[in-house]
Amino acid sequence: MSIIQREHAETQFATELAEIGKNDTHQRPPNWKLSPWAVATYVLGGKLENGFEVSPKYIGRRRLIEIAIATLTTDRALLLIGVPGTAKSWVSEHLAAAISGDSALLIQGTAGTGEESIRYGWNYARLLAEGPSREALVPSPIMRGMEFGKVVRLEELTRVPSDVQDTLITILSEKTLPVPELNSEIQATKGFNVIATANDRDRGVNELSSALKRRFNTVVLPLPESVDEEVTIVQQRVASLGRALELPAEPPALEEIRRVVTIFRELRGGVSLDGKTKLKSPSATLSTAEAISVVNSGLALAAHFGDARLQAADLAAGIVGAVVKDPVQDRVVWREYLETVVKERDGWKDLYRACREVS
Amino acid sequence: MTEHSDSSCNVYGIRHHGPGSARSLLQALEADPPDCLLLEGPPDASDVLHLAGKAEMKPPVALLVYVTANPQQAVYYPFAEFSPEWQAIRFGLKRGIPVRFMDLPQTHRLAMYPYEAGENSPPDDPPEPSPVNDPLDLLAAAAGFNDGERWWEYIVEHRRESSGIFTGIGEAMRALRDSEAGAHFTLQRGQIDGLREAHMRQTIRTARSEGFSRIAVVCGAWHAPVLPGPVRCKEDAEMLKKLPKVKVSSTWIPWTLDRLSLSSGYGAGIESPGWYGHLWKTGRTRSSLENRSRTVTIRWMTKVAKLLREADLDASTASVIEAVRLAEALAALRHRPLPGLEEMTEATQTIFCFGNPTPLKLISKRLIIGEKLGEVPSETPLVPLQQNLTSEQKRLKLTPAGVKDLLQLDLRKPLDLGRSCLLHRLNLLGINWGSVSQTGNQTGTFHEHWRMNWKPEFAVRVIEMAAWGNTLVEAAGNFVQQTARQTKLLAELTELLDRLLLADLPTAVAFVLGRIQDEAALTGDTVHLMEALPPLAKVLRYGNVRQTDLRAVGQMVDTILTRICISLPLACASLDNAAAGEMAARLTKVHQAVGLLNLEEKTVEWNAVLLQLAEQSTGHGLISGRAIRFLLDGKALEPTDVSRRMGLALAPANPPASCAAWVEGFLQGSGLLLLHDLTLWEVLDRWVCGLSEEQFISVLPLVVRTFSKFPAPERRNMGELVKRGQSQAVPLGGSGSGREQHQSFDPERAAEMLPLLRQLLGLEIQPV
Repeated sequence: MSIIQREHAETQFATELAEIGKNDTHQRPPNWKLSPWAVATYVLGGKLENGFEVSPKYIGRRRLIEIAIATLTTDRALLLIGVPGTAKSWVSEHLAAAISGDSALLIQGTAGTGEESIRYGWNYARLLAEGPSREALVPSPIMRGMEFGKVVRLEELTRVPSDVQDTLITILSEKTLPVPELNSEIQATKGFNVIATANDRDRGVNELSSALKRRFNTVVLPLPESVDEEVTIVQQRVASLGRALELPAEPPALEEIRRVVTIFRELRGGVSLDGKTKLKSPSATLSTAEAISVVNSGLALAAHFGDARLQAADLAAGIVGAVVKDPVQDRVVWREYLETVVKERDGWKDLYRACREVS
Repeated sequence: MTEHSDSSCNVYGIRHHGPGSARSLLQALEADPPDCLLLEGPPDASDVLHLAGKAEMKPPVALLVYVTANPQQAVYYPFAEFSPEWQAIRFGLKRGIPVRFMDLPQTHRLAMYPYEAGENSPPDDPPEPSPVNDPLDLLAAAAGFNDGERWWEYIVEHRRESSGIFTGIGEAMRALRDSEAGAHFTLQRGQIDGLREAHMRQTIRTARSEGFSRIAVVCGAWHAPVLPGPVRCKEDAEMLKKLPKVKVSSTWIPWTLDRLSLSSGYGAGIESPGWYGHLWKTGRTRSSLENRSRTVTIRWMTKVAKLLREADLDASTASVIEAVRLAEALAALRHRPLPGLEEMTEATQTIFCFGNPTPLKLISKRLIIGEKLGEVPSETPLVPLQQNLTSEQKRLKLTPAGVKDLLQLDLRKPLDLGRSCLLHRLNLLGINWGSVSQTGNQTGTFHEHWRMNWKPEFAVRVIEMAAWGNTLVEAAGNFVQQTARQTKLLAELTELLDRLLLADLPTAVAFVLGRIQDEAALTGDTVHLMEALPPLAKVLRYGNVRQTDLRAVGQMVDTILTRICISLPLACASLDNAAAGEMAARLTKVHQAVGLLNLEEKTVEWNAVLLQLAEQSTGHGLISGRAIRFLLDGKALEPTDVSRRMGLALAPANPPASCAAWVEGFLQGSGLLLLHDLTLWEVLDRWVCGLSEEQFISVLPLVVRTFSKFPAPERRNMGELVKRGQSQAVPLGGSGSGREQHQSFDPERAAEMLPLLRQLLGLEIQPV
């Protein structure tokens, strides 16, 4: 096993990508490592003609992924929007890995992201010594993506200050990056594109200008539609993360995962799954990603301090921590939920007791 | 197979409502003109078929076949402009070719599958409720298309020569009928299909024996392989013998595009008539497939952009370009040769709507489904309900007109009463020809003012409602009962009852009363009960005029009022300002209702509750004030007692805001009371004077709100009272203005007058 804590998608799934590549007879857009069809197969999973099983990376609506891929073939930039934890970054990483074989061209958008991380910066020592030259230029991931015709990822676009966001406009519409200091420009090689992700919840932080918005095709990634779908996602991710972390614990029982997912869905939706009881929703997002991390930390607890089997007590702390983000409001919500729903439910006694102990 | 290409008979298997089929069919007919056209459709409608050729007939329209004695049993055959049958009918009528329907007559089908009268389901063809409506969709799905229409278009256009396609379809259908899916499909469709196909074959045979040599048969693709078919004439005749019969009538009615999406006489409803209409219109240009497909996509996206712009949403030309490109890329990704509706919609959502699904609803309603309304020529036979409406209109001398004019009715005259009933009945059916208007010169319960506006879509509504009954009385009654069955809200039911009484529908009244009884027993919400009571009381009081049996209503009012009395004090405890305002309004209505009932026993009970409300310590000032006022008005409290209570309510111990609310509640409606009862006036005066400046400012808006609602003369009187009150207060050492008047007396100037006075009076007075 490798010593890297988290492998890039293209390394982790190298075998799958190679197999798909071998079986891919469809037409590939210029500079794409795979055909659009093969990219869809890689992301959504499926069986290849030679019987090779490709694991699904995204569980959800097929058509969303198809729209995303089709967008990238039309050289329009792709904007993935969704509440936190709806696999936006995950999808963008895998798309980049499958299309360009490289998911490392990444810009993390923050309030402090400056223009130089989107365009280019300068190596000042060299700039002073030699004057402005191509060698003194420090290229951004976007600039490199343009040069090599690769897909660049831009995470959390709405956190980037508006004036910096707008530097993307020229790049996306003209597909060039002017370098006025050198009186030259970088022209994008075919295959270059941008996948940006943005958060629904803080859409207001730095909303995209309409000029920029128009240059993106927008795909909204929804929360999982059904309990079963969400359980599958959690189970799969927990298994693969457990492998990576080398936890000496049994894979969690499906029933435990289902309980966590049920709690999250009920609190998120504000109504019990049978649709009978109205509930208050806490301020926390309670996304699938959080459910995954709750199960995961429960697994770690069980492995190192428990009997290596995931039990209600191992999950309780994680669940409470995920739900109660605001110590006053959310605690009330949680107590109400605990007393009205969890307590009454058949076979949930252990979980109820465990949660009572923690909260 | 051999019989298909039979020179005397060409079978064209089509998709009902398929624009692609319509186009291919027209081309085939033009290339090889028949001398007789046989269509899958009800032969019962033969006598109205010629109307389809009229210029005034504008699709979407539908053929309606109904049982003459019981029009609730009816079948609809809708046609859109892009329906192959419609194009075939028009083609035949234009060229003077005999056009005939050949399906099993509805006279038998309706006799075999009678409907339960008054059944809830809308009229629908019972033998064909199948999840897979169109067997062609099965083929399209097998070819990787999500939409049978685009598949057809692709296949047809690909083949270039369109006549061959029908042979191909026949073969494909034969294979499908033999397959497992086909067998399942046959099972779903049941035994009636055999009869239908037998009748179709017989019709073809008849046409042949009449000497037609170039017969064109247009039918659903499913039936194509068995026409003219392998079965012998004798067997068919045997099957069709001794079928039950019922007398039916048929007519044309205007239809709407969105109703095309319902399953209909063909059992084949379509989801996206607007989209099909688009395919039909854009597909008629003679150009290469590539160009045509581009045109379809581009025109569609342009329409979408236009619609969005009309709705004030951004949709630039650049977006149109990108949307077209994305739709094509998506189609390519899915290995579809052409973008279908699915790709179009997804591209629209991604590019025009920035991922937001809400604007898609608008697009779906206006574009994908469409809102077009068809027209039929005036000589079209009427449906029974229409006939009834027309005769009623004649009898009551009301002519439908679009102009908005005001109709004044005096309900004491029989003619006007009839008119009122008619309009109320129509309103119950959702035909809002007239709406009751409050603006009129004459008031009084026997006057009604109607604002009249006849809209063309009412014609469709009348047809639609024909399913509920033969006459207006019957249809309105049945329809209302259905509505009453579905609603659970007490207030809605009582409102319905009110309208029913106005419309004079006794049977429905009885039914709705029963429903109200049920719901009143179940509801736990005082508010619902309070809203239900006033209309009921009105019914009880004025219902007699219209000769309804009101014993049931009386009993109901009784129980409801009792329930209110029990739960009201609790419902009025701890209300905030907004809730108290609403509650006070409801309280007023219930109080009026109680007054209307005029039953001593009930009034006593009610007054006890009012007193309880007034004394409730946690109650809102507004409610308490209101309750006291009602009690005073009803002479249930002595004026002295009231002034004592007012004093208590306005005591300085209470917060000023609550006092102001009390005053508002007490004085709501009229302040005349204050002018007549000076004790009350004084209590109020004392309260206002006792307020500190700060308190005064804070309650001022509330008080002003109360007083500003009084009529001007009352306010003036009060103002005068205030003035007088102050001058009276002078001797008690009151206000400053009085003292100033005294001070304006100047002894020096008065002294100057004295000499002259002395002279005038002839007196000798020593100067002071």
